[in-house]
Amino acid sequence: MVPYEYYVALSGLLMVLGLIGIAVRRNIIALLISTELMLNAVNIAFVAFDMKLGDVGGQVFVFFILTIAAAEAAVGLGLIMAIYRLRRDVDTETLTELKH
Amino acid sequence: MSVLQEIVAGLGVPNFKVLIPEIIILITAFIVFVIELLTKARLLITVVTAIGLFLAAIPTLNMEYGDLTFYGLYIVDSFSLTFKFFLILSTFFVVIVLRPYLEAKNTYYGEYYYLILFSLLGMMMMVSAPNLITFYMGIELASISIYILAGMFKKDYLSKEGAFKYLILGGTGTAVISYGIALIYGRTGSFDFVTIANTITSDNLDVGAVAGIAILIIGLALKASSVPFHFWTPDAYQGAPTPITAFMAVAAKISVFAVILRIMVEAFPFAYEVWNTGWALLAAASMIFGNFVALRQDNVKRMLAYSSIAHSGYILAALAAPSGAAFTALIFYSLVYIFMGLGGFIFLSAMERQYNWSNNINDFRGLAKRSPILALFMLIFMFSMLGIPPTVGFFGKLGVFIALINSDIWWLAVVLVVMSIVSAGYYLRVVIYMYMHEPQSKAKVNLSVGEAFTLAFMAVFVLILGIYPTVFWDISQILSSLLVAGIGR
Repeated sequence: MVPYEYYVALSGLLMVLGLIGIAVRRNIIALLISTELMLNAVNIAFVAFDMKLGDVGGQVFVFFILTIAAAEAAVGLGLIMAIYRLRRDVDTETLTELKH
Repeated sequence: MSVLQEIVAGLGVPNFKVLIPEIIILITAFIVFVIELLTKARLLITVVTAIGLFLAAIPTLNMEYGDLTFYGLYIVDSFSLTFKFFLILSTFFVVIVLRPYLEAKNTYYGEYYYLILFSLLGMMMMVSAPNLITFYMGIELASISIYILAGMFKKDYLSKEGAFKYLILGGTGTAVISYGIALIYGRTGSFDFVTIANTITSDNLDVGAVAGIAILIIGLALKASSVPFHFWTPDAYQGAPTPITAFMAVAAKISVFAVILRIMVEAFPFAYEVWNTGWALLAAASMIFGNFVALRQDNVKRMLAYSSIAHSGYILAALAAPSGAAFTALIFYSLVYIFMGLGGFIFLSAMERQYNWSNNINDFRGLAKRSPILALFMLIFMFSMLGIPPTVGFFGKLGVFIALINSDIWWLAVVLVVMSIVSAGYYLRVVIYMYMHEPQSKAKVNLSVGEAFTLAFMAVFVLILGIYPTVFWDISQILSSLLVAGIGR
């Protein structure tokens, strides 16, 4: 069996990838995908710790995170639709009007 | 006995009596939902929401026995009841000023009302969380409702942009908070504050636990809009409809401060050195950055957004000292911030309905000649945020300052005082424009009853509390001593 540390390392890697995505991507859909990636990284971490502890609490928490990720994605896609309808654009460089 | 009866007998029924405020809020939200669907009667929706909030506030005041219910997932104690009362109070004032603003801006939706109630429900869950799961669900219910509220300005691009930035950074905050929870869970095997506090002691504090606490602090700082995790704040605050900005800047912030205090004191008393240093640095950064950037703002709404970052700094500075006096100062400052914060933002929301008002600093020219009373109210709010003695803001800052000095954290106390002086630059600028310039237009200022009542109530309370802060100070002291006593529960 794969030791749990490997899963934790994987989840940390995915988390960092998500953070890098938030920092460098300019497409608003990619930004939303990055936040979802981070939430899924957390799910992997919870299941891995669950395996280590032999407890079910972490698995229950994963369900909560899945629900919240779905709600957040729904709101985010709604906002992306509204932004696209007003501007016909998905690039943060050209979309940003609120500065300083 | 059927299987269902056996299950119920085995688990026991949760004590729903202590949940009456939450239940009333939830039922009101559904009633408003149905009314909005069927009738579109705007006045009726406002009145039903206000009555629901009023009914929910009564049991928070006269509830005699709290309880740890829902199998240890929900705690109702004096701390949570007090904060629930003030959250409901601030939501009430937002609700009564909301309709005139939305109608003047031609962006009325009935959805605002029940989304505000759902968000309030999330905040109430947050402040009565003895468990990381409850805390997480509460903070997400509150945040996701606010993402929608902030972006609901009809055909207004800035609102959408601010809401989207808030969603992306708030979503990052959520992910970071849950990663911190995962690490703490992996170390302790529990989500319960007391179990966490009992599992780790300061002797066996290892890298895993410290990393979990640090990541959780970063996520909480993002939700409390503390520098360097504040990027969403000015944009979301500027884009959102102004009463919603007031709701975000006051109710959402206050509940986050309450939950930060509870998590730090109840779950991580063993690591107080870690979180003291962390919050001290975040607070100093927020005070310095928030005040200096606010100095160059010409848009008063954006200026107040930066000033709310600075106020986060003043409030979080109290967490740098692990003493009862510091927790008292934090609770006191959060409670009195409700009055100045709501006053400032609702003043803007009332003025935005007037002809040709764009929140620019030039619009404030000669306001004292157009409407002396309104200018006086704004003067009181600005003096209170600045911390000038006859107003309550002074005692908020004094409490934090004394707590810092008692714990020998001089550098942060000095930063607090210096930054308060810097903040005079932009608060007094508003006052100078109101009183020392000639008005550009002679147009009369028309206020609705709700707005006039709210502004008068807030201004009078800021003054009364400034002259006689004892009541609130006593409440804060009792709450902080109960919180500290609860560690060994």
